[in-house]
Amino acid sequence: MKPLVRIFSVLLVFAFLMAACTPATQPADSGKKQYTICFAFQDLETEFWMAGHKAITETLKARGYKVVEVNSQEDANKQLEQVKNCIAQKVDGIIVIPVDGSIALKLIAEANKAGIPIGIFNRPPQSDEGNALTVVANNEKIAEATVEYMAQEAKKLGRKVKPLIMVGDLGDPNAVGRKQGFYNVINKYPDLFETPVEVATKWNADVARDGLQAAMTANPDIDFIFTSSDFLYPTIQGVLEPLGKWKKIGEEGHVIMGGLDGDKTACSLMQPGNAYVDATGVQDLYFEAQTLLDAIVKAIEAGEKQPDAWLDDPGFALTQGNMATKEMDMWGCKLFHGK
Amino acid sequence: MDDFILQFFGINKSFFGVKVLKNVNIEIRRGHVVGLIGENGAGKSTLMNILGGVVPFDSGKLLLDGQEYAPRNPAEAAQAGIAFIHQELNLFNNLSIAENFFISGFPKWGKTPLIDRKRIRLAAQEFLAQVDLNISPDMTVEKLSPGERQLVEVAKALSQDARIIIFDEPTTSLTARETERLFGIIERLKSAGKTIIYISHILRDVLRLADEIVVLRDGEVVKTGPKRAFNIQTMISSMVGRYLGTLYPERTSRPTDEMALEVRHLSKAGIVHDITFSLYKGEILGVFGLMGSGRSELAHILFGLDTHDSGEILVEGNPRNHRTPRKSIQQNMAFVTENRREEGLLMTATVAENMGLVALPRYATPLGGVLRQSLLAESIRNTVSSLRVKVNDAFQNQAKGLSGGNQQKVVLGKWLMNNPSILIVDEPTRGVDVGAKYEIYSIINEIAAKGAAVLFISSEIEELIGVCDRILVMGVGEILGQFSRAEFNRERILQTAFREGGK
Amino acid sequence: MTVTPKFSPEAVSNTLKTFIQRLLLSEFFIFYLCVALFVALTPFIPVIASPYNLSNLFSNTWPLFAVAIGQTFVLIIAGIDLSQGAIISFTSVIGASLIATKVDPAVFGQSPIWGKLLFEDGAILAHTPLGVPIALLTMILVGLLIGFLNGAIIAYARIPAFMVTLVTQMFFASLAIYFVKSENIINLPKSFTSIGADSGLLSIPLVMTVVLAVVAHFVLSRTVFGRWLYSIGTNLRAAVVSGVPERKVIILTYMFSGFCAAFASIIYSSRMEMGRPTLGAPFLLDIVGGAVIGGSSLAGGKGKVIWTFFGVLFLALLGNALSLLNVPFFWIEIVKGSVILAAALIDVTRTRILQYHV
Repeated sequence: MKPLVRIFSVLLVFAFLMAACTPATQPADSGKKQYTICFAFQDLETEFWMAGHKAITETLKARGYKVVEVNSQEDANKQLEQVKNCIAQKVDGIIVIPVDGSIALKLIAEANKAGIPIGIFNRPPQSDEGNALTVVANNEKIAEATVEYMAQEAKKLGRKVKPLIMVGDLGDPNAVGRKQGFYNVINKYPDLFETPVEVATKWNADVARDGLQAAMTANPDIDFIFTSSDFLYPTIQGVLEPLGKWKKIGEEGHVIMGGLDGDKTACSLMQPGNAYVDATGVQDLYFEAQTLLDAIVKAIEAGEKQPDAWLDDPGFALTQGNMATKEMDMWGCKLFHGK
Repeated sequence: MDDFILQFFGINKSFFGVKVLKNVNIEIRRGHVVGLIGENGAGKSTLMNILGGVVPFDSGKLLLDGQEYAPRNPAEAAQAGIAFIHQELNLFNNLSIAENFFISGFPKWGKTPLIDRKRIRLAAQEFLAQVDLNISPDMTVEKLSPGERQLVEVAKALSQDARIIIFDEPTTSLTARETERLFGIIERLKSAGKTIIYISHILRDVLRLADEIVVLRDGEVVKTGPKRAFNIQTMISSMVGRYLGTLYPERTSRPTDEMALEVRHLSKAGIVHDITFSLYKGEILGVFGLMGSGRSELAHILFGLDTHDSGEILVEGNPRNHRTPRKSIQQNMAFVTENRREEGLLMTATVAENMGLVALPRYATPLGGVLRQSLLAESIRNTVSSLRVKVNDAFQNQAKGLSGGNQQKVVLGKWLMNNPSILIVDEPTRGVDVGAKYEIYSIINEIAAKGAAVLFISSEIEELIGVCDRILVMGVGEILGQFSRAEFNRERILQTAFREGGK
Repeated sequence: MTVTPKFSPEAVSNTLKTFIQRLLLSEFFIFYLCVALFVALTPFIPVIASPYNLSNLFSNTWPLFAVAIGQTFVLIIAGIDLSQGAIISFTSVIGASLIATKVDPAVFGQSPIWGKLLFEDGAILAHTPLGVPIALLTMILVGLLIGFLNGAIIAYARIPAFMVTLVTQMFFASLAIYFVKSENIINLPKSFTSIGADSGLLSIPLVMTVVLAVVAHFVLSRTVFGRWLYSIGTNLRAAVVSGVPERKVIILTYMFSGFCAAFASIIYSSRMEMGRPTLGAPFLLDIVGGAVIGGSSLAGGKGKVIWTFFGVLFLALLGNALSLLNVPFFWIEIVKGSVILAAALIDVTRTRILQYHV
């Protein structure tokens, strides 16, 4: 029985220590009120989300806000719970990277009911019900610019190409936008492109691998691949390499390749002399974090309870053509070069 | 000069205030085979458990090689060179023979934690050879026959350098040939200088193997001496002594001639063959059989716990084919199983929960099965007191805290609460102390007096002779003979049981 | 039986020991712990006692408690039901795909139930007066059916519950995802979403769950069926010999477990306002953990509805408190894990104390 008592004492002391450490009991800074922002994110499973998480927390702390961080580990119910806990603590603002577009709606409804401004980062709600500050990359435009560059490269081949698109989770409007941007270009050049092959990924590397493998077996002549997210490059490489189709730009049999996000992997695959990827669409992560924070702070300070705005990240396409000048504008390349 | 390896001086032991060993004095010579006989509950097991370090003794002195010896646990006893070959074997069925040998300490590769497999295999092979077992030490124990397992236990004892080897009913699960083989090994162990204590109910075997015989009764040594001082008759009379008359309650009622249960040509391949008998209301019908005779299997089939291939079972004249325990119970049958722990009791449940289990539907509303709790509790209280179950609080105390006899009364009680008209009891007094045995016989007597039919299965001839109106003798799955009360004769019953033994 | 007087009566600290023993043996032990935790934390995080937080805390407790009741029944017969999470997910999808008022063809066009259950202007029963009640009934029936499947395989094929329910868990979790191709069905009618909507402390989920709990408690403690459950869990063989219709009881138990999962699915789905194919996936540890912390034993034969309530409440309170304390998320999981371990330790200690008291 002794060890049991000990375990409980440890747990209890532990709880008290934590309680003592929380700034909830600290007095606010003299004069100026310290705002508390609740940051609920889904998980940190890809570079993009890790970089986004870092950008947001660092910016908030640099500005002197107290940040309450909660991780829902991709559990929507848990995220709902966590946001409600934040509301119970009467935070001044909420920033969410939602698990998906449908739970975002419910979170917005809860925040609206409590009169707390809520910002949705990068993953837009499934519909535009409710009031929220939503910052989202203009996926369609970015994808279009990227695929346009790829199409120009394809033209140089002087023959028709067989395109393939790795489609994202269609419950995520981002994925829908990227797919739309891709088709805008495909339809623009009917003489250049054969009918595209679609591979569903559900934003899941395993699903993507199986689908791509099947598609490559059925259509060995594919020579143009657009992936809706950069995090799938290792997956693509894993499928193409054994087929002898993972070739650098300029080598015989190179598959024209492009993606979207602008992560570190994409950057590494675009390095001169060692480039496999022709172009990648960049979501300007730092711009998005900055814009959303500015908007929510402005709303808090103005006493707005249900700010509602759609904040657009125009993004850009980093291509082999503009690498020299634009490379360091891409967040993934900043990470790649250690900045 | 006498060379005693083991000496008991004035050993006493009580459990729960009941004296189970009274001033026991025994001296055992090195290199001899000592036969230890006595009825169940006479104290044999307790005496051996003391020797094996399972239980401590209260007072007295125990000398091993002239040194005082009081093992605190089985490991100490094993270290002292005492090996106990139990009735229920203590091998790990899922491990290989070699692994079983070294389970308490595997030899290692130098100082590494890696097991030196080659060494244990070679060592195991050597000890298997000593007991004439020509099998691979890598074989898992579950693949062995009961006889082979027994020999593996003996080999294991040898591997642990045992000097005194105790055999507790070693032949109950062995075939005739395996028994012969075991006896050969025992002779060889003796000539190799090992001391053997041989416990058995099969008196012929004891007479054949032992140099000296010790008879225990009621916790006392009543007779001891060299083999030549004994024959079967004197062994029995000293085991049973003056108690024979009072060990069993008087049968006060007579069987009726109304049929309760009729079995016709019941067969199940490899288990029972062409069993035919009738059981009458008010009768206590004994079934005598040794282990493997099919007696318990027959009971399982009758109660619907097992299926049969052909033949008929008629309960009060009605044939029944698809039987389950539940249907049997609805026909007022009851079955006190041989194995209390596995099949009889909910050990961690309270006495009351156990008592109520069978009769629950009787104390519930027909729709929804809502219990009438006060009625049920009342009934349980009555049963506990009428069976004189010794328990502080039947509604709080768990069944596993009771003594064997009281546990058995709880099992009987749960069936009695359902007012059975046919009661099957399988070894109802196994592991029950002498006093409680008498009470259990009385309870069974009373049930029969109230008109129920009782099928009493046992491997103890004396209790069948003491309690039953009629005895069926079973062996190799068949009924080999039938005795009415007037013809009861221990020798003839045994002879009948063994008639098929050589087949 | 060896009776070693480990708790020596001469000991000076005897009173304290008796007190701790009694506390440990009390079936309200976990409840006392909940109260102690609550009282200890209130000065540090007063917000924990705010009505908003309490309503929040309980609104998460009710559905979890409902599933855990089913799990408790299964644990009592020494089984385990790993498929409850999958039943929650699957019935959530089934229910929503009957009543969604608007379905986006771009999202669900690929779904195998598109054109069968789902249509652009709403699901098959959307906009019909009895749509929602029929959907609720269907969810419950599906839960019962999956439970029946579990129970029948366990009872007749005698495959361990762990295996059987692991397989049904995989099967129905995948089937839920396949039906809607991983998408969440939103746009559920108001009459459905209002079931789980927050309406202060006295909510519909509370009433529903309390009724379920009272019935379950009555069945366990006052009926033949309840006694049979405990006997099967304590010693299956002895129960069979004693005439317990074990197959029937096992099947009914797993059906009840499925029922409870579907029941919770109704609350969860309406609260989140969607049919979600991955809804139940994260709950398993909390369900089994809640029951075990309450005092049900994985070895069977032990468990009470009220115990499970305390267990679930304790887990919820702990999670809530740690979250309000802004403890980093990984600490929450570590502490929860430690608590479940502590519960197992308490169980062992209890058993040991009880042995000395026989």
